[in-house]
Amino acid sequence: MSLIPAIGRVFLSFLASTGRLAMFAGVSVSHIFRPPFYPRLLLRQIIEIGYYSLPVVGLTAVFTGMVLALQSYTGFARFNAEGAVATVVVLSITRELAPVLTGLMVAGRIGAAMAAEIGTMRVTEQIDALSTLATNPYKYLIAPRLLAALIMLPCCVLIADIIGVYGGYLVAVHKLDFNPAVYLKNSWQFLELVDVISGLVKAGVFGFLIALMGCYHGFYSKGGAQGVGSATTNAVVSASILILGFNYLITEAFFSQ
Amino acid sequence: MNGRPVKIALRGLTKSFGKKHVLRDLDLDIYEGESIAVIGASGTGKSVLLKNIVGILTPDSGSIKIDGEEVTGLSGNARDRVNRKLGMLFQGAALFDSLPLWENVGFGLMSAHGVSRADARIAAIERLRQVGLDEDSADRFPADISAGAQKRVGLARAIATEPEILFFDEPTTGIDPIMGDVIDKLIVKSVKELGATALTISHDMDSARRIADRIAMIHEGKIAWVGDVAKIDNSGNEIVDQFIHGRVDGPMSASLLGTPAA
Repeated sequence: MSLIPAIGRVFLSFLASTGRLAMFAGVSVSHIFRPPFYPRLLLRQIIEIGYYSLPVVGLTAVFTGMVLALQSYTGFARFNAEGAVATVVVLSITRELAPVLTGLMVAGRIGAAMAAEIGTMRVTEQIDALSTLATNPYKYLIAPRLLAALIMLPCCVLIADIIGVYGGYLVAVHKLDFNPAVYLKNSWQFLELVDVISGLVKAGVFGFLIALMGCYHGFYSKGGAQGVGSATTNAVVSASILILGFNYLITEAFFSQ
Repeated sequence: MNGRPVKIALRGLTKSFGKKHVLRDLDLDIYEGESIAVIGASGTGKSVLLKNIVGILTPDSGSIKIDGEEVTGLSGNARDRVNRKLGMLFQGAALFDSLPLWENVGFGLMSAHGVSRADARIAAIERLRQVGLDEDSADRFPADISAGAQKRVGLARAIATEPEILFFDEPTTGIDPIMGDVIDKLIVKSVKELGATALTISHDMDSARRIADRIAMIHEGKIAWVGDVAKIDNSGNEIVDQFIHGRVDGPMSASLLGTPAA
């Protein structure tokens, strides 16, 4: 009997959350373009998001490239198509695996950290303190993180592209006895600029989504340590789902015939 | 009050959270240069009152005027302009834990007043000295110091920009009585030196007596009594008497214990 009102409440709550997120994103983005700017904070976030993510991004990319070469070789060998391994590796890495896996890894590392840091600032009144010091929290806390993630995710993905392809090369040449020159030639021959560009566009969108989810859930966290914990979980889960969803939409936009 | 102009005027201030009505049509005038303490039992809306004045919360209805300017509903640069007149010591100090102490103290100078980092550091160290912390502590982080020292740093941060109005939210909560006395004396000294208007939220009567010129008692979302600190022991108000003597029985019992008044 109370099912319909319950469904209604959930639907209204969803609409309210979506509206609040849209307003949060709009206000935050507007502060990226309006002075005063905080270059020191931007630089700190660039280092945090870009530089400190390199080890995890690099390891993910190199192992992904290696496994991809090995898997595609064992599969293609069944119908004598081993020559396509290099092309499959380079296209898979640049179009899909580097941006998506980098996005997911950075969401776990950076999205969670942002939600925890901003959430702790919220529950300990540090964000309120910013306001009383005539400093806009959106401008000081959110805008530098959004901009830094937007800039650094494509950089990380470009590096992941190179390392991932190199991982495939290592396995192909040293384990599967491919000719190095032929492998590299095959990698270059079928690679088009749009393959790399589409991956970088994805990375920019994913970076924005990761920072947005981390900041949003942290900013609206409440209820002490438990609230910060929930914000951290929600930030990672929502960013991961959005990454997978937007990955499809961007792929559709670039490659749909 | 002695012909002083009203610095902060609150009229019909109302604030609810869901079905819980915290502030109900509250009126209060705070005069320029005075130090007023708002006392009341826990959960009666003292902090909500303060957060409405500084713009952290927005009242459901009513008016808040600072220097005659309506500040309810202000946002963005207009709110920041008003907030440059303010300084606030938070209950838990609310220091930025990613910044060293000197950056916490100099934050307002650098962020809102355009002071260079080098000059802000010099000014911050001077403020830290004023609250009894030496130069060596400037590069330490909030997590490395005691709760009492955090309150001192919070006070140094609140006064660093020499604001016209100072707010103190439960300044002695969570620290020992001796440190509480020290903080109170620092507050009185700082307010006098700056010539600022001060509003203190407290349920510590000893602290309120030390800090304030006037005391206002908040009960059920309204100001139940306001008067000079010297008159509070003979206020003739049953609510004030019950609160300052810490009695269980009295007119506040119904709202505090959820039972009819004795």
